[in-house]
Amino acid sequence: MPIASRIALALLLPAMLVNLAVFLLPMGNLALLSFREANAGGAMLEGVTLATWGKMFSDIFYAQLVLDSVVIALSITVLTLLCSYPIALFIYRAPDRWKNILIVACISPLLVSAVVRTYGWMVILGDRGIIAAMLRGLGMERAPRMVFNTTGVVVGLVEILMPYMILALIAGFGRLNASLEEAASSLGARPFAVFRRVVLPLTLPGIMLGCLLAFVLAVSSFITPKLLGGGRVFLLATEIYDQAIVTLNWPVAAALSIVVLVIFGFALMLYGRLARAVA
Amino acid sequence: MTDAHLVLDHLEKRFGAGPPAVASLSLEVRRGELLGLLGPSGCGKTTTLRMIGGLADATAGHIRVGGRDVTSLPPHLRDMGIVFQNYALFPHMNVAGNVAFGLEMRKRPKAEIAQKVERALAMVHLEGFGHRKPRELSGGQQQRVALARALVIEPAILLLDEPLSNLDAKLREEMRGEIRDIQKRLGITTIFVTHDQVEALAMCDRIAVMRAGELEQVGTPFEIYENPATPFVADFVGRINRLEGVRDAAGDIVAGSLRLRAARAGAAGKVTVMIRPHRIHIAEGAIGPEWNDAAGTIRRATYVGDVLSCAVECDGTVLTVERHTHPGQPIPREGEAVRLAWRISDTMAFEA
Repeated sequence: MPIASRIALALLLPAMLVNLAVFLLPMGNLALLSFREANAGGAMLEGVTLATWGKMFSDIFYAQLVLDSVVIALSITVLTLLCSYPIALFIYRAPDRWKNILIVACISPLLVSAVVRTYGWMVILGDRGIIAAMLRGLGMERAPRMVFNTTGVVVGLVEILMPYMILALIAGFGRLNASLEEAASSLGARPFAVFRRVVLPLTLPGIMLGCLLAFVLAVSSFITPKLLGGGRVFLLATEIYDQAIVTLNWPVAAALSIVVLVIFGFALMLYGRLARAVA
Repeated sequence: MTDAHLVLDHLEKRFGAGPPAVASLSLEVRRGELLGLLGPSGCGKTTTLRMIGGLADATAGHIRVGGRDVTSLPPHLRDMGIVFQNYALFPHMNVAGNVAFGLEMRKRPKAEIAQKVERALAMVHLEGFGHRKPRELSGGQQQRVALARALVIEPAILLLDEPLSNLDAKLREEMRGEIRDIQKRLGITTIFVTHDQVEALAMCDRIAVMRAGELEQVGTPFEIYENPATPFVADFVGRINRLEGVRDAAGDIVAGSLRLRAARAGAAGKVTVMIRPHRIHIAEGAIGPEWNDAAGTIRRATYVGDVLSCAVECDGTVLTVERHTHPGQPIPREGEAVRLAWRISDTMAFEA
């Protein structure tokens, strides 16, 4: 091995060791845990068993849980994209001296913890919140319920994920520039055709990056679904928490964590494929 | 002008307060003519081009193409082919896709598009490049694709925004000839924006020199170069010696240590005198009455192969003198005393 490679390896070693110790070993431990069984009190039973995984695959509750989580996360991703795209485009096109100010304004919600923002949404969306009051004021007899159900979770998470989406979109807009849009319109493209044939394809890398980020964050989000879902919305992250902390069934929590990991793996794979196809 | 194809009628563009970027500009361009908009950066030439193309709104005034007022039409309805300074090729489409774009927007049949794209690529000598991506092409090739893309839609007007400024010197000269040939062959009315006076002189039928949003002079390259209307035009187009002087009642001009006569008579008072360096000769022998002359000393001689440039000091006034080199002619030495002579007809005087 050439000296340079050996030095590189030596320099990488500490980081690899740390990763091994704090990431790979616990993950392995988690995987092992899913092959154990716990009694009702939470104590681990002796021996290795496939019982937990058997339950995962046979109990329709878990299939539904995974499906619900993925569907909700995907809806949140799409809604976040729709809400963020125009803002990102506006910021990207803004003159330089405004750009930084606008970006800071967009990511400033991150200065407030997601817990606080979630409580904020509970107040806004609640039965006595401003939106319900407005709807009543407009003559609606019974305002629709907007908290402690999927609607609340979706609204809250979309707002919480928007800063990440906007940043990812702007980062991925590098190929777009004003003269390309001007060229397209000078060639006879109507505004919508300019968007569909030029702006959209050129911003696709940003869209994919933002969607990957938002999806991963949505699937793994815990606090917002827990609070705004009010225990009525069952998602992977909240279920893992319940199994680990409330039911004390660590093997099930471990198995669900592995499922989340697999979902991430699929998302990354899909992203990689699409990214290569677009480039 | 009876044959005006493109008419700019008191066109004006303001960005906020302050002086307008383009001030009340009126210009007529003949059918099939290549008109250059020449000026330093910030003179409003690109803004003018963008207004013609519909990429910028005119604050006031009108733009007419073939008698039709297009001032308020959006760019996609103006039927103008634009070649951008950075080419603005669509990076996600291949060369054929770029050229086909305008035809697709016009909903032409597939077979016709394929045929026209092929013909357009052949016209710019890029046969067989259709499947390449723009980033796989050299600057000159990208430039050709941009030209083909703008021309394939057979636009009423072709707008070129500094199309050669991103090419290296050799390629620029080549493309200059090529663009001019294509433009002549198609007989397309063309506006060519440039800050390069050589480019403008070499390519254009007529040149409109702009300065600070206003037209200084419109004329053929010959008129612009030989009969500049203002000191600015004389200074901007070609190299020049500039002297400040005073004209007396008899018409003689005193500029520093020099006494001279100018081509055109004018009122007495302060004048700016301008003489092209290559019209000044190092005199050998007698000097006729139609010449101005001055005695001086060579301060610096710069040999650049085809041209020899000398700075000659005439009693405090420094004149630059240029001539083509010749193997038989010696290069003057610094400190050598010489006699300079230039025709009175080559001495331009502008009242200051």
